Amino acid sequence: MSEGDPPKRSNDFDERLRQLRERAPREDKAVQGPDSQSRTAIGFAFRIGVELLAALLVGGGIGWLLDHWFGTLPLFLLIFFFLGAGAGMLNVFRAAKELNRGD
Amino acid sequence: MPTGESPLEQFAIKRLVEFHIGGLDVSITNSAVFMLVAIALVTAFMTLGMRRHAMVPGRWQSMVELSYEFIAKMVRDNVGTEGMRYFPFIFTLFMFILFCNLIGLIPFSFTVTSHIIVTFIMAAVVFLGVTVIGFVRHGRHFLSLFVPAGVPIFLLPLIVIIEVLSYLTRPISLSVRLFANMMAGHTMLKVFAGFVVGLGIFLGWLPLAFIVALTALELVIAILQAYVFAILTCIYLNDAINLHH
Repeated sequence: MSEGDPPKRSNDFDERLRQLRERAPREDKAVQGPDSQSRTAIGFAFRIGVELLAALLVGGGIGWLLDHWFGTLPLFLLIFFFLGAGAGMLNVFRAAKELNRGD
Repeated sequence: MPTGESPLEQFAIKRLVEFHIGGLDVSITNSAVFMLVAIALVTAFMTLGMRRHAMVPGRWQSMVELSYEFIAKMVRDNVGTEGMRYFPFIFTLFMFILFCNLIGLIPFSFTVTSHIIVTFIMAAVVFLGVTVIGFVRHGRHFLSLFVPAGVPIFLLPLIVIIEVLSYLTRPISLSVRLFANMMAGHTMLKVFAGFVVGLGIFLGWLPLAFIVALTALELVIAILQAYVFAILTCIYLNDAINLHH
């Protein structure tokens, strides 16, 4: 409890803060290296795959349903399958555009 | 299989308490129990973390504030301040999926989000909700979402059909993404765990090391997929509120 105590402690604190600041950027780099980048890339690749597949499923499903109602089996299934493929491309295109905007 | 269980055994739904109301099977299953556990844990995490209301947050309170601000920033960045009205829903959705995914990583637990019906219902609620919000805010004008500007008139019918199909794809891709990630990861873990036993004491710990790495990856995926579900909900909400792609 001497008078010199508080300034000494704050000196100590400044010193510790300075040391931590020196160390901090390096630790940051270690945590967010190329690793996290490649992980989001994998996630993005997966997203594109699912997007294409889902569009084909929806297109095929709607086509099959229309055929089921009208009794024209291969007709609408074929048409909507290709329309679904188109919608899938559109989705992938939009997803890619989003990624570019994010960079 | 003669020895041990199938890697898909973990996804089996078991009735724990039988319940029938008017011919409807509403038994409490292991899936329902783990949903309740997730809700209880989220509630405990949020309320107990904020119990002290400290100006300078401790570790727990920091985690709570971090998750709150993370989603609040996501909503504000992607939807704008208009979207903050729907923040409670998106935050609830995110925390529920996150906790379901994380609880699923604990051995002998059940992963709620590895069933497509669960993820599909969540995606369907988002999809219907967003559509209703769009129609309420913009009326018939909401349909202009399906008519992109600057398309030649003879191509318009084709483009509109493709746009509508692309819109209908959303609940499917949203639910399949979460479900497939969770199911594939958990199946892979069990398959490699089977290799550990099969290869015996000399070679068995090669796959064991792989499982350790895979578990870390699964942890990332659990958080990432909750994040993806929330951010896509934000993007869809943005389409409905601000009416442009």
